Amino acid sequence: MEAKAPSLFQSRIDRRLFLRSTVATIALPSLEAFAEEKAHLDPKTARNFVAIGAYLGWHQNAFFPKETGAAYTMPRTLAPITAHRDQFTIFSGLDHRAPNGHEAWINFLSGKSPGSYSLDQQIADQIGGNSRFASIELATGVGEGAKTMSFTKQGVGLPTIMRPSVLYKQLFISKADRERAEYLLRSGKSSLDSVLEDAKRFQASLPQRDREKLDEFFDSFRAVEKRMDRQLATLDEPVPGTDYRLPAYDPITPNLQMEAGSIMYDLMVLALDSGSTRVLSLFLDGLGQVFAIEGEILKAGYHALSHHGNDPEMIADLVAIERAHIECFAGFLRQLSEKKNPEGKSLLDDTVILLGTGMGDASRHSNANLPTLVAGGGFKHGQHLAIDPKKPDAPLLGDLYLTLMERLGIEQENFSNASRNLNQLFS
Amino acid sequence: MSGFSFASRFAFLAAAWVLPELPARAEPVPQPVQDILYRICSECHDADSEKGGVNLDQVTIAWDDAAAVDQWYRAYKVLEHGHMPPPDKPQPTADDKKALLAFLDENLRKHTPIGGTLPRRLNRLEYRNTIRTTFRMDEFELPAGFPKDNREHGFDTVSEALVLSPPLLAAYQEVAGQIADELFPPPRALPASTVRKAGVEDLVLSFSAATIHGDALRLACGSTDSIMRSSTWPSKIEITTSGTYRVTVDASTFRPRDDKSLTLEVRAREVAASDRSGTKSFRLLGEFEVTSESPGTFTFDAELYEGQTLLLRWANAELTHDPAVLTALLEHRFREDQRFLAAWQEMLFPAPNRRASVTSLRGRNGWEIYRRHYDNPDLNLTEATMESKRTRQILAMTRDDGTARNLGDTFAYEYHEFGPALEIHGLSVEGPFALVDGPKDKRRAGIREYSFTARNEGESDADYARRGTRGFLMRLFRRPVDEATVSAYVQMAQEHWSTGHSFDEGMHLIVRQALISPRFLYRETSPGPLDQHDLASRIAYFLTRYPPTSQLVLLARAGKLNDPAVLRSEIERLIPTSPSAPMIQDFTGQWLHTRLLPEIMPDASFDFTAEEVELAGIEAERFFAKMIEENRPMKDWIAPDFLLTSRRFAEENYEYPPRGKSLAGASVTYQNDHMKIERLRIDPAGRYGGLLGLSGTMMATANGVDTQPVLRGVWVLENILGMPPPPVPQNVPALTPDTQGTTTPRELLAAHTKAADCASCHRHIDPIGFALEKFDPVGRWRENWPGVDVPIDSSGVLPDGTRIEGYLDFKKWLVANIDLVSECLAEKLMIYGTGRVPSYAEQVEIQAIVERITDDGGGFRDLLIALIESETFRTR
Repeated sequence: MEAKAPSLFQSRIDRRLFLRSTVATIALPSLEAFAEEKAHLDPKTARNFVAIGAYLGWHQNAFFPKETGAAYTMPRTLAPITAHRDQFTIFSGLDHRAPNGHEAWINFLSGKSPGSYSLDQQIADQIGGNSRFASIELATGVGEGAKTMSFTKQGVGLPTIMRPSVLYKQLFISKADRERAEYLLRSGKSSLDSVLEDAKRFQASLPQRDREKLDEFFDSFRAVEKRMDRQLATLDEPVPGTDYRLPAYDPITPNLQMEAGSIMYDLMVLALDSGSTRVLSLFLDGLGQVFAIEGEILKAGYHALSHHGNDPEMIADLVAIERAHIECFAGFLRQLSEKKNPEGKSLLDDTVILLGTGMGDASRHSNANLPTLVAGGGFKHGQHLAIDPKKPDAPLLGDLYLTLMERLGIEQENFSNASRNLNQLFS
Repeated sequence: MSGFSFASRFAFLAAAWVLPELPARAEPVPQPVQDILYRICSECHDADSEKGGVNLDQVTIAWDDAAAVDQWYRAYKVLEHGHMPPPDKPQPTADDKKALLAFLDENLRKHTPIGGTLPRRLNRLEYRNTIRTTFRMDEFELPAGFPKDNREHGFDTVSEALVLSPPLLAAYQEVAGQIADELFPPPRALPASTVRKAGVEDLVLSFSAATIHGDALRLACGSTDSIMRSSTWPSKIEITTSGTYRVTVDASTFRPRDDKSLTLEVRAREVAASDRSGTKSFRLLGEFEVTSESPGTFTFDAELYEGQTLLLRWANAELTHDPAVLTALLEHRFREDQRFLAAWQEMLFPAPNRRASVTSLRGRNGWEIYRRHYDNPDLNLTEATMESKRTRQILAMTRDDGTARNLGDTFAYEYHEFGPALEIHGLSVEGPFALVDGPKDKRRAGIREYSFTARNEGESDADYARRGTRGFLMRLFRRPVDEATVSAYVQMAQEHWSTGHSFDEGMHLIVRQALISPRFLYRETSPGPLDQHDLASRIAYFLTRYPPTSQLVLLARAGKLNDPAVLRSEIERLIPTSPSAPMIQDFTGQWLHTRLLPEIMPDASFDFTAEEVELAGIEAERFFAKMIEENRPMKDWIAPDFLLTSRRFAEENYEYPPRGKSLAGASVTYQNDHMKIERLRIDPAGRYGGLLGLSGTMMATANGVDTQPVLRGVWVLENILGMPPPPVPQNVPALTPDTQGTTTPRELLAAHTKAADCASCHRHIDPIGFALEKFDPVGRWRENWPGVDVPIDSSGVLPDGTRIEGYLDFKKWLVANIDLVSECLAEKLMIYGTGRVPSYAEQVEIQAIVERITDDGGGFRDLLIALIESETFRTR
């Protein structure tokens, strides 16, 4: 098909251009940014949402427990989060009834129609508004920088941040960035009068009705001038500080994916804890990178391993990678559970975490039975909920999403092709 | 459905043009006209009732009062289309109607203006494209969260709806800052030199390109097609400052053949580049002959740019993933070592009738399997001959590109283990010692020079700034700029310099401020007949969605667009014919509502994939492009003898005869991996083809689950026939219809719209909706209503009284009344192109153009050209 794909930045240069602009925006936080802060006292709501998606899926046999219910044996892939057993639930048998194939991977958060309004963006549009960032989209292991799992209401794919240093800069503005922002604001303001004068001469050259149309410009101009004043004032306000230190390089190449992952998780904790954002997504890409896991170099690249053809040794190596992803994830859960708000509620209980994929079985490019895990959010956890998708009335993954949204205080009747919820099974 | 507004031409007229501000002067209404108005209108529309706020019981009309003109214009339209008087009220005689329409026509022609577009703010698409063109940033995208435009009268190009809000101006300001940073980036400082080292464990292992053995990394493949199968690179080194560096690589040979030297190739790789990139896409820094089995050090100086790291490859390795090379090497090994052949056979054919999956044999996994067989003392050698079937099968497999890539990855391990291989022991990068301009700096310099030209020899800051800014503003503002304006901007820079800031900082400020000037953000600002520059802009943005090209600008500056021949040739040059032309995609999406398709995911029962939904939208674009390209007659909009779609799609959705029984004349016009779009011959009088027989339009006018006859009816009236029903009255009474005993959608709807208030419009809407009812929500033909399983009754009476039995009759009626369709499309194009709804007088001109094209036997391309050449188009 011709390029109707999400219009992302086509080249590295432009992505940077965008990123820089985002940094500039951050250097100018809005007044409201830090105002909105008061923990919800209702135990049945959570403040934050995090979605984590693996491009090559999660090998089903090592992700789904053999037994259902609470007395399940921890599956191989999930072993690293055993300590948090009571803080997550495993779902099997759920999917969006979406088409198969790699291209439809993005059904993960979009539902039956890949590339449509994604769960995280629906949530961000509802609850993200008062934070410094309505949502933040991250990725690790991306070789080409063209993939995303987050789509706006209009179906525009959002670019992801893959450099920890960029996210860091956004969260914790450096002195140099602050000075640059101040210079731009002051110099820009100093010549606004000349711009205004020229605009007025332009307006004067037009007939009456056109002049009235141009009033829109002048009204906006005054508003923007005030906005610049506010931005200058907020430059003096404190920004969340941190003593977290990044490595000297950005682990952006696919082979450094695990390193990038653990740093991203660390920064995600800081972003949530500082209230900088309430909605995060993390895309785990997969290419031909060969990993060394615990000093052992694997037999083939990540992508090759996902096409394991049921070869047990290939599967063992694939599961080792997925387990390494979960190892990073374990650090995330641990840190979230250790952070408590003044009421004693942990950040983990305040954060609904969805870990899954749009790929049911990468070896067959099937998008059915998507391995899914929900952690945190104050749900009653600790079990494996197995859904039988063959039953005529079987719930869909979108039904689970409706339940997750409800936990975030969002009452919504439909998500994609789903219109019920899973409250009966999971609350 | 929010996109489905009842936006009609009725609402706009108030205050839609420039009139001299004279006191309203009322003209008397002739007595016979007064009498007719009294007889048929005054029951509801006199000074007492004023139903809908309309009072037609007047003895005089103030024709220079825009509100009065608007009211009488609306009266004309509802009378002409038969929406008024309502069916339960006294109806005018044919003579009364004719006399009334004639009176109104005469006065409306006289008293409605040509022109009336307000200054038009660039919309999102135009703004993005303008930045792309003005600054040669072909890949520029608007930042996420950039505000949306309003849509009015069906399009997002209408001047009145293109408002400028504070968040939008703030977004413009943000983009202005980005662009200023590109043109005049903050100065770079030379950071302190450092030494960055990468040990063996810091080098990337990708596919089977490299493996680690003790303190050495071994490279085995020389493939050039993608770096991930041949090369390694230190992924923790990324140059942050473009400069000169000293590079050191430690390397040695591992079991070279015949003591040949191995060529180490060092390139500069962008860290963020795709691993799929070919090796040659990266700049070669140096080649070194490695001759010794003990590590040697290779040192050289190189320019490295921001974002880069090194890439190492063994350039003259014998093994590559090229099928011919791999096949020859394997064949050689098979002949040389029978055990090797036997073990490969066992690896690939683990059981008598089973071939192993090649994908899972990739890399070390396959090699270890092979190795177990090789080392097995009981390895069966009987089949291991060059003549055996399996040997031939293996060598056939390796001749295939895909299999060769996989088996090449397996075979590479043989080299990693036993050589020959090139060993890397580590590397370091020291620097920067001096700053150099990297590609980004050079690209920026190019954009800067393109915008401001280069500084002349000995030119002062002030002179250069003035000269450069003059040219820059002319391009940015799309018209000549007077000296006072140039001075205003140059002065900003001068004042900035005077407070101790650099030349570049002053220029940065000019760029930032000029990009938020209304002179840039608005187009079409010369009142009355468009001047040359505004005309150039209007034509260019209309036909290309981009600002005028330099050729058009130069013609405008020379005043040559007044020459009809020049104007014609420019229009012909710019007219879009490619289905992917931005104008075609943008216009069809808005006119036909196919832009809504991505949001409509058909119900699972239709078995429609996202790809097919996309194809449905593309069909509409291809159809539109073909109509222009071949200057097709206007009746082809309704009843063409061709479809532009994939054969598979046509077979599944358009009852197209399956392959083998196809009609003659099909020819391939488009092809890609997934589906190929062809021109398929069809019966012009049949069910499919044309605007209404397209999956895309029928899908866009349904909701993916059910059809809604009212929506389709309104859509046709509004977008195909140009007879939009008036907006739903605000005081519609709550419906309490008696729906007992209704079984079909038709009966249900009839129960709802029986009330006279509803019927005056629904008697026009519903029959058209039902005529299309046999198209299901994805545009496939059906005979029965789903669920109730009752045959669909598609019959009805059209607005002019014609009785139809169903869609095929409706199609015939449309072809017979094709001028209605042409006028409607012409009006849509004019709204889109001029940013206003044509006034009555302008509609008269459009109607005359349509008639002329029909009389001359012209086609759609002729119509499009004539519209652009019209007075209406050429007037603001």
